[in-house]
Amino acid sequence: MASIFSKEKRIIYARKITGFWEEFKRKRIGLVGVSVLIFFLMLAVFAPWLTPYDPVARRRVAEDFAMPAWMTIFPKFKDYPLTQEFSLYWDMEQGLEFIKSWGKAVDVEYQATTMETIDVELSTTFSYNDIPPNAFYFKFEWQAEDVISTEYSVRIRLDTPEGENQTTYLMWSQPRIQQAKGAHVDVESVEPFFRDMLGFDMSENPAPVIFSQKGEYTLLLRMRFKPLSSNASCHIELMNGRFVIPGRVHGILGCDDTGADLFSQLVYGTRISLMIGILCAVAGASIGILVGVITGYFGGVLDEVMMRLVDILLCLPFLPLLLTLVFLYGKSIFYIVLFIAIFGWQGLARMIRSQVLSIRETSFIECARAAGASRFYIIMKHVVPNVLPVAFASLVLSVPGAILFEAALSFLGFGDPRVPTWGKMLHHAYGFGAFTRLAWWWIIPPGLCITTLCLAFVFMGHSLDEVVNPRLRRRR
Amino acid sequence: MRGYLIQRAVVSVLILWIIASANFVIFQVVSPITPISGIVDPSFSPEMKEALLELYGLREPLHIRYIKYIRNLFTWNFGFSFQTMASVAEEMSWRLPSTILLLGSAMVATILVGIPIGILAASRRGSKIDVLAIGSGLLTWGVPVFFIQLLFMLFFSYYAYMTWGFKIFPSSSLYSTPPPTAPLAYMADIAWHLAMPVLTLVVGGFGSWALYTRNVMLESLTQDYVVTARAKGLSERTVLYRHAFRSTLPPVVTMIALGIPGIISGAMITEWIFSLPGIGRWYLNALMAADYPVVQAVLFIYAVLMILANLIADLLYGVLDPRIRVGARR
Repeated sequence: MASIFSKEKRIIYARKITGFWEEFKRKRIGLVGVSVLIFFLMLAVFAPWLTPYDPVARRRVAEDFAMPAWMTIFPKFKDYPLTQEFSLYWDMEQGLEFIKSWGKAVDVEYQATTMETIDVELSTTFSYNDIPPNAFYFKFEWQAEDVISTEYSVRIRLDTPEGENQTTYLMWSQPRIQQAKGAHVDVESVEPFFRDMLGFDMSENPAPVIFSQKGEYTLLLRMRFKPLSSNASCHIELMNGRFVIPGRVHGILGCDDTGADLFSQLVYGTRISLMIGILCAVAGASIGILVGVITGYFGGVLDEVMMRLVDILLCLPFLPLLLTLVFLYGKSIFYIVLFIAIFGWQGLARMIRSQVLSIRETSFIECARAAGASRFYIIMKHVVPNVLPVAFASLVLSVPGAILFEAALSFLGFGDPRVPTWGKMLHHAYGFGAFTRLAWWWIIPPGLCITTLCLAFVFMGHSLDEVVNPRLRRRR
Repeated sequence: MRGYLIQRAVVSVLILWIIASANFVIFQVVSPITPISGIVDPSFSPEMKEALLELYGLREPLHIRYIKYIRNLFTWNFGFSFQTMASVAEEMSWRLPSTILLLGSAMVATILVGIPIGILAASRRGSKIDVLAIGSGLLTWGVPVFFIQLLFMLFFSYYAYMTWGFKIFPSSSLYSTPPPTAPLAYMADIAWHLAMPVLTLVVGGFGSWALYTRNVMLESLTQDYVVTARAKGLSERTVLYRHAFRSTLPPVVTMIALGIPGIISGAMITEWIFSLPGIGRWYLNALMAADYPVVQAVLFIYAVLMILANLIADLLYGVLDPRIRVGARR
């Protein structure tokens, strides 16, 4: 930096900035805006540390439309459970030496010694003492290798608590497998074929019936190996066996229709809104300053043509046009920023032009011209520095417009599908039944975030305007 | 006056022509998805492709297509929808009125709420109404109208339905099913369905009018002629409305003209949210289905609406601004 500015210049700039800050500090709403902006910046930067979930994958973490976890402070919802997850594990006491187990994976190195069938059982016993759930699901995967003349089967069953009406449900089974293969098993209680297998009616939800009692439930996964000859052997790896009862409440902001965490979507959405808002404003302001300064300083035919172009652009139906362009060129952040910037410089260009028109006639410009300064020199050294403060204020004021535009695009389903945005949250909320389920935790937070962030920029821009625009200062 | 009018009309037609041409260029020349790719599937046989291209007139050279396109636009001939194969103009003729109804009532209501608040705020600086004008003006910049609409819908339609068993305002459509037959009941039904969309557009938009009117009024209240009017001993009311407000009308009318694109955008999202059978919703659905004739027709109609509104604003400006009237008399 030191080489760019001489020492005197640095002192002058430092003094200017301190003076400006002194003045800005007195505007209360400006400071409110700055603090809100800092808050959102922190959210954007620390998003990965604030939430563990991926906002785009929308992985299920709790029940559909799960409420925020803090709703349990209200008596009406105080029995609502969080998500409960139970891992299948290998009970060491079975004493089979060919089994290795670490963490959630079990490695079975089966080698026939006799012609007897051998059972390997993985189980988990858990107590369920909450109100009956609406769903449950379980997952596991296995990988079989080197299957030599062995027949094996895999089955899972669930025992309800002991007592008079103890029932055993066969949850899943695959008999007589002889080839080397693997599978990802992912069964949800909402699936009709699963209901059918459990002996329920297709339209009946099995989850509340199965978990109607409170007490100890046992989930058992049994692998049965049957040797077909004396040299039978096989190698099976079993991983990630877990049984999940999705909670009715989850996290800070609950869940959407697929049971995905909403707080992570909200936090990551901050990044996109901030980025789009600032990029569009900077790009639009750059075009605006360029056009405004050139047309204002040189005038003539160029000025006439550019101002007519501005007139035309100002009376275009820009939202429909923007939607069309985004649709034609692809829903990506790059094009969204580009198109919003293209439609967002006209107002600033007009304003800068009028400023330049009056600056052009001042005596210091005349002096510079008389001293033989080139046009380029005058524009860069005298005109631009004089319009920059005003341009900066309106740059800040144009950020909310860009944020709102992106939000509207995303809300209508024309946003970038690869990134999480607040508008997209509202789009999903509107399209996937947040209203009929009264899921206010899905509708209000994103809208409120858009509003607060935009207002922060409005407040800052307004205060900046008052600082840099002496006319406004006098009037208040 | 007449010269001014003719000049404005010529400029309007010119702008309309530029927009229509831009429309053509976007869709038929530079677009990465050509209208041909919209209707012709790669799996079609060559003969079928030829027949389809012939049918839609896409075999002709670009300039012939352009001339035909412009001629068709200005003769209200928008072709046939790719989706429904129905005439676009016909569907337009029953969809357009509901959009104009929404746009018109929202605009009039917003102005009728916003401008009086602005005048009152300017005449009583520092009062509660002044704070309201400034506050709502700033809020308008930051609150997305569609968020206000979603909130209204959540509370007045869905929460009301869950709590009391009926919706205070309906959440979709412009008519009940089936619509009432008596003309008065029919109108009441439409008004009931339009109430929430219009109300939300007013809530989301009146602030900017109030703030703008307030600022212009404050400017004109410091002018010499207002001082003169006061010195003459005129009542405050007369000073405010006959002298100060009169001179704020031209800039306010300009503001109305400049605000129209925003209002059209707002109405489009409104139609989407409240499932109103207007052209905005039609446009969005057509765009998602790559139904280009509909998309082009609606874009053109939006431009026409915008230019018409601008023209009306210009006319009003001519009536309101004595300088233009006097200039014409000369």
